[in-house]
Amino acid sequence: MKTKSENKFEFIHLDAEVLRDEKFEGEAIGFFKDAMLRFRKNRASVAAFIIILIIVVMSIFGPMINEYDYKQQNIQLALMPARIPVIEKLGIFDGVKTINVRKESIEEKYKDSLVKIVEEYKVRDVDMATIKIDMYKYKGVKDKYFWFGTDSLGRDQWTRLWRGSRISLIIAVLSMSVNIVVGVIYGAISGYYGGVVDLIMQRIIEVIGGIPLMVIVILFVLYYGPGIIPIAIALCLTGWIGMSRMIRAQFYKYKGMEYVLASRTLGATDRVLIFRHILPNAVGIIITMSALAIPSAIFSESFLAYIGLGLQAPEPSIGVLLSEGQQVLLEHPHLTIFPAFLISILMISFNLLGNGLRDAFDPTLRGQE
Amino acid sequence: MARYIAQRLVLMVITLFVIVSVSFFVLHSMPGSFINDPRMPKEVKKAIEDKYHLNEPLIVQYGYFLKDFVRLDFGISIALQPKVNVNKILATKIPVSMQVNIFSLILSIPVGIILGIWAALKKNKIPDHVISILIIAFISIPSFVFASLLQYFIAFKLGWFPIVVTTEQTLTWSKFVSMVLPILALSFGSIAGIARYTRAELCEALNSEYMLLAKSKGLTQVQATTRHAMRNSFIPLANIIIPMFTGIMGGSLVIEKIFSIPGMGSVMVEAINAKDYPVAMGVLFWYSLVGLLTILIVDLSYGIIDPRIRIGGRK
Repeated sequence: MKTKSENKFEFIHLDAEVLRDEKFEGEAIGFFKDAMLRFRKNRASVAAFIIILIIVVMSIFGPMINEYDYKQQNIQLALMPARIPVIEKLGIFDGVKTINVRKESIEEKYKDSLVKIVEEYKVRDVDMATIKIDMYKYKGVKDKYFWFGTDSLGRDQWTRLWRGSRISLIIAVLSMSVNIVVGVIYGAISGYYGGVVDLIMQRIIEVIGGIPLMVIVILFVLYYGPGIIPIAIALCLTGWIGMSRMIRAQFYKYKGMEYVLASRTLGATDRVLIFRHILPNAVGIIITMSALAIPSAIFSESFLAYIGLGLQAPEPSIGVLLSEGQQVLLEHPHLTIFPAFLISILMISFNLLGNGLRDAFDPTLRGQE
Repeated sequence: MARYIAQRLVLMVITLFVIVSVSFFVLHSMPGSFINDPRMPKEVKKAIEDKYHLNEPLIVQYGYFLKDFVRLDFGISIALQPKVNVNKILATKIPVSMQVNIFSLILSIPVGIILGIWAALKKNKIPDHVISILIIAFISIPSFVFASLLQYFIAFKLGWFPIVVTTEQTLTWSKFVSMVLPILALSFGSIAGIARYTRAELCEALNSEYMLLAKSKGLTQVQATTRHAMRNSFIPLANIIIPMFTGIMGGSLVIEKIFSIPGMGSVMVEAINAKDYPVAMGVLFWYSLVGLLTILIVDLSYGIIDPRIRIGGRK
């Protein structure tokens, strides 16, 4: 039967065979892409990342830029002040040093190199004077430029500083990677299995964490000698504990979830559950923690150098340079100021980068420190 | 509560015992001897070492050590300050470190809290940005860099303060003046830490619903902030301030070295380097004890400061 109303309706989709969703215009945004989008908006972190890149590049190529070697000694030119071309015209880093001398020796010894007499005074009837002299002219090497000066053995500070930062970074990255691997595995096992396993593993952590860090590190370094590998490993002895705690917390959070239960019912083994299904949730934390672990490793390395457990000569590291500089700080500040500046920049940049990464991977944490 | 404390104390004693035992075996298995005079005849050297039971099997030495350790007696120093009782050495070193640390604490807690509050109240305005930048800088830059810079520019160039700390035993004005720079160098880091924590906590508290309630009841912003938000945000602060209080008994190794303060900092390293086992064990025990006690006090303080946690824990 045909009614009148029937004819009024038309099938509009009769021509098109299948109904389709509208295609997405943009690209699909995954977890990492999403995080990177947020990271790029954080200008401070991006700047920090660029600074770190520059320092890394300089630590690779810096020592090759000038003609000096990091261990080539030259006692004649020891403790030269910094002298940088172009900038020297501004009156800083121009190789001028202030010294106190007897007044009569100005005429004899410092006549050519004298820049300026700052003041004259008397000590027990001897005429003394504080004068500024051009050390490069005084030593007869006006054609040489030690950009950051030289140390007490006449080694070029610029070359040593970049080589030192290279070694500090190597130590930091080495110890960071070991910490991450050990911490992830330990935390995963402890968090996934729980119960007695967890109890025992946490007590072990308590004992290891209870011994003052410096004691273990000092003993370890004394035992195995102060090389790059022993120092890096010494920093791992307790460094993995923080990482393992974070990972354990993640496992506690995710192991009871339905998707894990579903996967287990389908016959997934423990290993698959741990590494395929639960661990990827912690990737953001792992990346953030690795960025934050590097400055603390650099700090610990410098700390060790300060208490006399630095790398063996002639190999420099930022810590070794700082502690060597500290000993002659008052007479030759240039040996301390450059490494101090570099380590400060490096630490600030890594901390900013870590904060930026954390905000990017987990926006709910933004603002909390 | 009492049962919980007792439980924790027993666990702590066991942990402490394990730590001390492990350290004992690690320390004593180090190669070398505390006698480093190459001209000393072998027999004399052996006789001296015998006197301190150093040539007996480790397990026997451990027995001797435990016997004294029960009475908290670590014996006498054998290399650093020969024949002086270890506890006596510690008793002379700890007050020196404490002086500097206490002043640093007195300076850093109020300053840190005030900066944190200021930043939180002016969130996302200029004071907040300035304070946040300072916080990042002061947390990142190592204290020994500050110490070096202060020593060079303020003590040496400007001459406002002495370069190293004076050796006077008692706390006089001149000693205090010489301690200003190490106190500052120690404080920057903790000021930044406290300020960062206070800011984060207070920001959260200011956005909470009880603040809305307080304001809808007619309290002004100042009243609501001081009476409700601040109180609540101070609870988690215990987390970082208590370790600072217990930390005053240890020394800061590098700062003490830079300003030549004869405190606890260097004793440990010197003792280990000189193979002075009794002193090393004494210092180690002291540090471990303080560390474990701190963790315990922090855990217990949660219940005492915040009643909600105490009630929740009883189930």
